[in-house]
Amino acid sequence: MLTKDERERYDRQIMIRGVGEEGQEKLKQARVFIAGAGGLGSVTTTYLAAAGIGVIRVVDHDKVELNNLNRQVLHWDEDIGRKKVDSAQQKLERLNPRVKIEAIGERLTEANISKLVAGFDLIVDAMDNIPTRYLLNKVVVEKNIPFFHGAVYGFEGRAMTVIPGKSACLKCVYRGAIPEEKFPVIGVTPAVIGCIQATEVIKYIVGIGQLLTNRLLVYDGLNMKFTEFKLKRDPNCEHCGQSARGKK
Amino acid sequence: MSVRVNIHPILAHSTNDQTVVEVKGNTIGQCLDELVKQFPRLKPELFDKDGSLLNYVDVYLNQESAYPDELAKPVKDGDELNIALIIAGG
Repeated sequence: MLTKDERERYDRQIMIRGVGEEGQEKLKQARVFIAGAGGLGSVTTTYLAAAGIGVIRVVDHDKVELNNLNRQVLHWDEDIGRKKVDSAQQKLERLNPRVKIEAIGERLTEANISKLVAGFDLIVDAMDNIPTRYLLNKVVVEKNIPFFHGAVYGFEGRAMTVIPGKSACLKCVYRGAIPEEKFPVIGVTPAVIGCIQATEVIKYIVGIGQLLTNRLLVYDGLNMKFTEFKLKRDPNCEHCGQSARGKK
Repeated sequence: MSVRVNIHPILAHSTNDQTVVEVKGNTIGQCLDELVKQFPRLKPELFDKDGSLLNYVDVYLNQESAYPDELAKPVKDGDELNIALIIAGG
């Protein structure tokens, strides 16, 4: 049940046809897991906190560095040297004290991931490397948790939504791995992609609109162009294909 | 068959900064062979030593994933190919 204060705070989004108080209540009850408190994580956590998600768990083992500040807008000069999750928690709680922010300063590994995501309704992929993205993808497929992928490089960004068992997963689309390396990026790119991920999360929770499933949305900021690529599930997918399902 | 190939910006350093190239071929493989003839530096960025596509290279034919057996897929006049690499930044 929304309070009077919440009705006022979220008035403009409650006005949206299809959201209403019922949708706002769904957002309030939702528990969202966000992997990464960097460029994408700064944006997704900010807009999901502002929208009134009930519980946001943000996981990141890194500390804030000066060279993060061009894009990781939750972290400021005064935060250099702090854990990113602590910096994020402080800002997000000030932005919206009604949202419960859980800050976990750990690296996601095969050993801890199942425990960390337990009890969460959906997972946002705001990571900065392929191996952890695959780790997340594997766990969402196993546990049947909706997954919201985003990635950036320079002025380019990509986003897709995975509904396990129904749409292509990350491993249906990507099979290889690129070496982990310092990548170029300007802050506006994760801003665009993070907002797309947050939009998908909100739509999924409220149950409105058309999700970015079986579609890879590619944003080309230099030419200001969005391109959509059609995807399909891979029956031989290492994570969600028939043989993977048989191993369970 | 004349096919337009959109090349991922990460690869543009091997194509003299060209991101759109017209090639001819009856299959995706033939189109990529011609692309590599025009820009030999692309070869190790797209193919392994056995001539298979590297597993972090994705090919889309008319905005649709061409996986699997990408190289054998037929193309027709006016088709569009996109060559994309995995990106992982966050």
